[in-house]
Amino acid sequence: MAKIIGIDLGTTNSEVAVMEAGKPTIIKSAEGQPYFPSVVAFTKDGEMLVGESAKRQAVTNTEGTIHRIKRKMGSGEKVKAHGKSYSPEQISAFILQKIKKDAEEFLGQKITEAVITVPAYFNDDQRQATKDAGKIAGLKVKRIINEPTAASLAYGLDKEGEHKIAVYDFGGGTFDITLMEVGDGVFEVLSTNGDTQLGGSDMDQALVDYLSNEFKKEHDVDLRKDAKSLQRLIEASEKAKMELSSTMQTEINLPYITVVNNDPKHLELKLTRAKFEEIISDIVDKTEKPCKQALKDAKLKPEDIDHVVLVGGTTRIPLVKKKVQEIFGKTPKRDVDPMECVAIGAAIQAGILSGEIDKDIVLLDVTPLTLSIETLGGVATQLIDRNTTVPTKKSKIFSTAADNQTSVEINVLQGERPMAADNRSLGRFHLDGILPAPRGIPQIEVTFDIDADGILNVNAKDLGTSKEQSIRITGSTKLSDQEISKMKKEAEEHEDEDKKRKEAVEIRNNGDALVHSTTKMLEELKDKISDDDKKSIEDALKELRKTLSGDDTDEIKEKIDALSKIMQKVSTQIYQQAAQQAAQQQQAAGDAQQKTDESWSGHPDDDDKTINADYKVKKDEDKKDKKK
Amino acid sequence: MTTKKTTGKKKENAEKNINLKEENEKLKLELKEKNDKLLRAVAEFQNYQKRMEKELICQRQETKKKYLEELIDLHELLKKAYEDNNPKEGLKLLLNNINSFFEKEQIKPIKCIGEKFDHNIHHAITALEKNDCEDNTIIEEVKKGYLLNDKLLRPSHVIVAKKIEK
Repeated sequence: MAKIIGIDLGTTNSEVAVMEAGKPTIIKSAEGQPYFPSVVAFTKDGEMLVGESAKRQAVTNTEGTIHRIKRKMGSGEKVKAHGKSYSPEQISAFILQKIKKDAEEFLGQKITEAVITVPAYFNDDQRQATKDAGKIAGLKVKRIINEPTAASLAYGLDKEGEHKIAVYDFGGGTFDITLMEVGDGVFEVLSTNGDTQLGGSDMDQALVDYLSNEFKKEHDVDLRKDAKSLQRLIEASEKAKMELSSTMQTEINLPYITVVNNDPKHLELKLTRAKFEEIISDIVDKTEKPCKQALKDAKLKPEDIDHVVLVGGTTRIPLVKKKVQEIFGKTPKRDVDPMECVAIGAAIQAGILSGEIDKDIVLLDVTPLTLSIETLGGVATQLIDRNTTVPTKKSKIFSTAADNQTSVEINVLQGERPMAADNRSLGRFHLDGILPAPRGIPQIEVTFDIDADGILNVNAKDLGTSKEQSIRITGSTKLSDQEISKMKKEAEEHEDEDKKRKEAVEIRNNGDALVHSTTKMLEELKDKISDDDKKSIEDALKELRKTLSGDDTDEIKEKIDALSKIMQKVSTQIYQQAAQQAAQQQQAAGDAQQKTDESWSGHPDDDDKTINADYKVKKDEDKKDKKK
Repeated sequence: MTTKKTTGKKKENAEKNINLKEENEKLKLELKEKNDKLLRAVAEFQNYQKRMEKELICQRQETKKKYLEELIDLHELLKKAYEDNNPKEGLKLLLNNINSFFEKEQIKPIKCIGEKFDHNIHHAITALEKNDCEDNTIIEEVKKGYLLNDKLLRPSHVIVAKKIEK
């Protein structure tokens, strides 16, 4: 299926996005940025540059560089560069071409169609010019949509029935307010207003002015007059502005900012959010009038507005958010990146047009909570994580916990707690007829399969006998939001104690398994172990057994370590003996070549661990495979 | 004759109907299976996306760790140099360390003073009119630029000469 891209063709920067498996993705430029500067340049050598590289050379080539072409769209006015004249459509087409090329590179496929956004106040000529620009660039413009409509789409506001939306778009260089009405997925612009000469760059300038004035007071030097110092000041101002969106105070330190009479000077300044807000408040206040006017034009009162959507990087500033709240009396929506939301909305519109946003496919359910089964010691061993998109299927291989165990119980659980008893049991069943075998040997495959309707099928199959048993659980994904959040909250609240309990159970399981394997080993290797060793093993074993009948986890751990140490020592001896014997045999056979088989040098504990954790039981298939 | 023919046809039609019904059932089942497979494939892709997102965050954290560790070392040494009354020697070694770290990471400074302006690696912050040098040569470096593995890490911020037109 051919992709349709969504383009936010902006005055200073353009952004582009595309739907991928129902999710909008921002496409990065070849230079690695999530945006494309809307700048086109023609060099003296006749080379054309678009985007970042055009921006970099702008001051060296003022007569050949074209900025803000969007403002001239549909005007019929031509722009000149080195004597040649171009229509605004052509210049916009060069930007779109660059976007198209980089998007093709990014997606690895040809792009021929696009949705492009324009300001709500664009007239028919301006819209047609934008369409033509697309055509020149080799893009079929499937639809031109309004920027505020795209932003609302990014927030899914087309799905919420009939209501009124205010889109407050405060970018780097312009401010726009649009009031809209939406019903049945159709957006209607009620009024628009704004200020084409107001934006975040005014704030940067105000901050640069403040900083250089402060510096001048102290050192009597104007940093703005030195290009080098000014550049550092601009960068520091932008950084401070961003930082003050999340912190209450920031430090601006610019060592060696200038030299006065061979004496290096540093700029050191603490800037509080309050001071910053004082500096920018005039600029922010200027957005109020257009908003009031837009309300008046639409014959609406602030309380008629149901949603406020923020667009543009400048809306990240807390004071701006506060202002918006003050004007409309509502907390604005802000979970989609305000810089990207127009492009994202355009991509969503593109997805609807290409049929990619098919509600049946894209809006698949997710499992609200983790699904697991109960294993040895009452632990919940998870099969399907929460937030997994369904339909899905997961299997794990488990085993028995005791010798000659012929039946296992599968207890299906839902919830985030690590212990089975704290989760909700969705159902349980038995699988019988397992052939008598030592613990850890039978392989029982447990499969969880959730279909698109949220029906969970749990199947347990003994891979040895092919006997199987299953259960069907309906409504595993249909929990109320309250139930889900309650269960999640409980899991968070009990996180620490749950962890401890789980650890305690695991240690006990390890202890049980060690008792089991040691007993077995003693039996099998009784001829190879000296009486002394045997006695010390038996003593340690006895101690471990004793602690296992009690509740002291630390003590169990201690005794496990003690027994493991002895076992390691003894088994090393046995292997050495075996190696010596082998060497003697080899020598006896006249084979002087010594061989050591590296593959047997594995950690002797490894196997134990697998069995230890096994119960009706668990641990990754991986290890099982190795065992086979 | 005619009646016979019609009965024959009827029989044929009935058979055809049964066949069609069977075929229809078969296709319905097949469609159902295919639909389920499609949904599962989409769900799997979405789950894969989620996993990748998680992994990406982990990886970013790892990369961050690596560079922060270097920065922490640097900080410790700078602190020592700050307390040193004669820090020149120490600072020299410190710079050497940073340079060799850059070398290891294949970070190279971009040449600029006296070079011709190149929009691929230089960012002009201003142009100054000059008589005594060639048009578009770089006369001052405001911020050093670097290449990473021969790709642009950040451009040099420079001041460019503009020849006065006679």
